[in-house]
Amino acid sequence: MNIQKLKDEAKRALGRKEVKYLIGYQKGSYGFRVSPVFLESKEELDLLTFSPLCTISLPNYLTLEADLIQPKDAKKAKATKIALFARGCDSRALNQIMAEKGIPRDKLYIIGIPCNGVIDLKKIEARFPGVVDLAEVVEENGKYIITINNQSHEVPKEELIADTCKVCQYPTPLISNKLLGDKVEGSPANYDDIQSLEEQSPEEKWDFWQEHFERCIRCYACKNSCPLCYCEGCILDKLNPQWIRRSVDTSENLLFHITRAFHLAGRCISCGECERVCPMDIPLMKLNKKMEKDVKELFDYEAGKDHESKPLLTTFNLEDPDDFVL
Amino acid sequence: MSKFEPNIVAFLCNWCSYAGADLTGTTRTHYPPNVKVIRVMCTGRVNPLFLVQSLRQGADGVLISGCHPGECHYLKGNYLARRRFLLMKNLLEFIGINPERIRMSWVSASEGKKFADVITDVTQEIKKIGPLKHFKKEIL
Repeated sequence: MNIQKLKDEAKRALGRKEVKYLIGYQKGSYGFRVSPVFLESKEELDLLTFSPLCTISLPNYLTLEADLIQPKDAKKAKATKIALFARGCDSRALNQIMAEKGIPRDKLYIIGIPCNGVIDLKKIEARFPGVVDLAEVVEENGKYIITINNQSHEVPKEELIADTCKVCQYPTPLISNKLLGDKVEGSPANYDDIQSLEEQSPEEKWDFWQEHFERCIRCYACKNSCPLCYCEGCILDKLNPQWIRRSVDTSENLLFHITRAFHLAGRCISCGECERVCPMDIPLMKLNKKMEKDVKELFDYEAGKDHESKPLLTTFNLEDPDDFVL
Repeated sequence: MSKFEPNIVAFLCNWCSYAGADLTGTTRTHYPPNVKVIRVMCTGRVNPLFLVQSLRQGADGVLISGCHPGECHYLKGNYLARRRFLLMKNLLEFIGINPERIRMSWVSASEGKKFADVITDVTQEIKKIGPLKHFKKEIL
């Protein structure tokens, strides 16, 4: 993605009088980090950046709007729209949020970016440990060119790309006001690893998951990084009734993970951010993918395909499978 | 070792299955005493997490029973429940819980015999599988 093209488009978006601010990416404070940035005026455009390191899901910040500092410019404060960059997965998250009436379509100005995949921060930090100075990454001909302290390293894309991006079905945004660049072809859905786990015996499956759930420290990073976890009254914060206690043991952790996976059933858009931010390396996407697979096979439904269809669990079909019912 | 008697929690809808269970009693039909009935207004009211919580708090199996499709007192509660529980059942199966522990049935108010059959069937099935060992809440 040409950064200049991106800035030009951002400039045009900020020039519109109905756009309040623009959500994009800026350089982080160290190493391979990138952080979100909220731009109000064209003077701040130089902050903008875009690279395969930009893994954070920007739709996350839409639903925080009430908490954000309002623009100083009185005219801007009255504007209603929020502009943001969206890759394939982000656009599906936006679709899903709009379908759930989380945010109206006319409040958004979406700049679509066809995506070639992002870098898994865990993989690149394992490859280049202890990088303190800011590093830069550019993608070229199936390789990542990584610049650390003026030294450049070439790494094949396959080694660093996030696992979910390898099997991304929709790299091109499904919804956008403006699409930058050419469409990228997606790969077909692949559920091989889910299937191989499904075929194991209940004991084997339990052993697999118990080992992972035992390690969970319930930092809720998966919940906080998820673009679809935006409910104001989250069940995890509820004290009366207290569904999930704060203590960290396998049973409570399991309940947390079941809750999280179930609340994302038919909503998860497979960005894979939960798994990438997990400090304990729990394969959360396996649960999400399992739900995605079932929803697709049983109800012929995919999350985030458009912003007008009704969410999966608020509708039904007379012909839904019921062979499990006595 | 004493014989294992399963602990089964049944969520019955007020309009069909609860009345069906009532009919089972008034017609003096026998069924195993392992089931603890919780009356709800509709199967659509049962949060899938009730099911997980029941299993954690000592149940070996859960039964959700409501009106036949198309006969819901609230028109579509059982259709919505059907979707939810199928997904929840699949999720629990994926984690390693035997899917036989989670059962759903349609029992109308006139099907006293069917209710007894369902309870017998579920109890026998869970007796075969044995108690739920993992998953339990450790401290109450």
